[in-house]
Amino acid sequence: MSTAPGLRRNRAPSLPCRISLVGALLIFLGVPALQAQDQLADPKPVPVIIGGSGFITTFDGGEPHLGPLIAPVLLVPIGDRWLIESRATFEADLTQQPGSSAFHGQVLKSVDYVQLDFIANPYLTVTVGRFLTPFGIFNERFYPIWVRNLMTDPLILPIGIGPSQASTGAMVRGGFKATSRFNINYAAYFSALSTVTLSNVTPLDSDRVAGGRVGIFIPNARVEIGGSFEHLLQDERSNSFGFHGGWQPPALPLELRGEYQRSARGSGYWIEPAYRLNQVPFWQYAMRRTQLVARMQQYFVGRLPSDSLPSVNTRQFEFGVNYYFRDGLRAVSSYGRQFSDMGNKNVWTIGLTYRFAFPLGHGDEN
Amino acid sequence: MKFKRNILACLSVVILGGVLCAAGQEQARVVDSKVSSTSSDAAPSSTLSSSKAVHEGTYSRFEGEKRYRANCGRCHMAPHKFPPRMMATIVRHMRVRATITDEDMHFILRYMTE
Repeated sequence: MSTAPGLRRNRAPSLPCRISLVGALLIFLGVPALQAQDQLADPKPVPVIIGGSGFITTFDGGEPHLGPLIAPVLLVPIGDRWLIESRATFEADLTQQPGSSAFHGQVLKSVDYVQLDFIANPYLTVTVGRFLTPFGIFNERFYPIWVRNLMTDPLILPIGIGPSQASTGAMVRGGFKATSRFNINYAAYFSALSTVTLSNVTPLDSDRVAGGRVGIFIPNARVEIGGSFEHLLQDERSNSFGFHGGWQPPALPLELRGEYQRSARGSGYWIEPAYRLNQVPFWQYAMRRTQLVARMQQYFVGRLPSDSLPSVNTRQFEFGVNYYFRDGLRAVSSYGRQFSDMGNKNVWTIGLTYRFAFPLGHGDEN
Repeated sequence: MKFKRNILACLSVVILGGVLCAAGQEQARVVDSKVSSTSSDAAPSSTLSSSKAVHEGTYSRFEGEKRYRANCGRCHMAPHKFPPRMMATIVRHMRVRATITDEDMHFILRYMTE
């Protein structure tokens, strides 16, 4: 049971270390409590379930796939500064088996993330648990079925986000006004290696990585640019990086988004313009509900193999038309052409998406 | 080496936290001083104070709508309003998800719950 003095010196927390930890705790827990007193009274939050559902039919190289999906997000606020959030996804990829006209497939269930957020102060939020990896912007912000303009994933989506699109560990993030002209937002995270697999749910695995993302948002011009970096702390210990950008010109109903990402397993980019036909002078009732979308993307194979990325260099162009019936309900359709050494193919999609939200309590009372 | 690294990491966390909090307090002081200077400028008459309240309400609504369109529109079509307590939860969620600033979050919440 005795410990060598040298080893004991290394293991015992030193005085500076203790002071630093106490100082950090005081900063995170003490000061914000004082700042919170200045804030105006906001409505008391109530637990909410919000999410998206849809039914997408895809013709991938002529093969039909039926894809029903529902992804509820549970939000449980605790006090003024805590939030528990979790998203589950239930989806199926139903295909026709040879010689049969019926569609068959399994329902895939997954818990995408379960995280606890602590809003430490106006500039810092601490998150622990399983969270969507903040590498690039698509995985965190554009992935939900009711948010995305095109139903297919970008080819480079798997880069940097881990084996099941999430990380297991801790993250600090936030956004603040740097000057009167622009805001800065950031996220820094550490993920531990996880090989957890529940019996009837998709794996909850994650890589051991450390990374971060930083961005600038200029509200008046509605321009956002930023970059991501990640270092893999296992296997080949490689680095990944990427850049993202977005622009919604205030005078036009136009959105322009794009990302470039590079890693040892592959690299590529996508650019996605979307235009709402608000300004068309005829058939205004229908036109202002109609959105035209396109996405150009290209993928280049890296020096290391990957299960989730294409195995050959690939180019893809997609064009889509979306129609918004009312808030949260829309019809989506798109046509895409993929070019690669494996053969060229067409990808058609058509479907409906719906965003739902309801409170788990009295939403109206203050 | 590991020991030194741990100390450096702890110190970095403390320094980062300190800088962020100092920045936050400075920002709060600036906002407080602006509010107090506006208050001291106001005349004591009830007409002026009520017009000031209307002006502040208009300003808050204008800023709220502007920030709502700028921030929410970065990712999705602007949704309709939800009940106030529900909106408070959703805005807190979006603050974390989309790294919206604290100031923007309060303007958007006030605008969406008016």
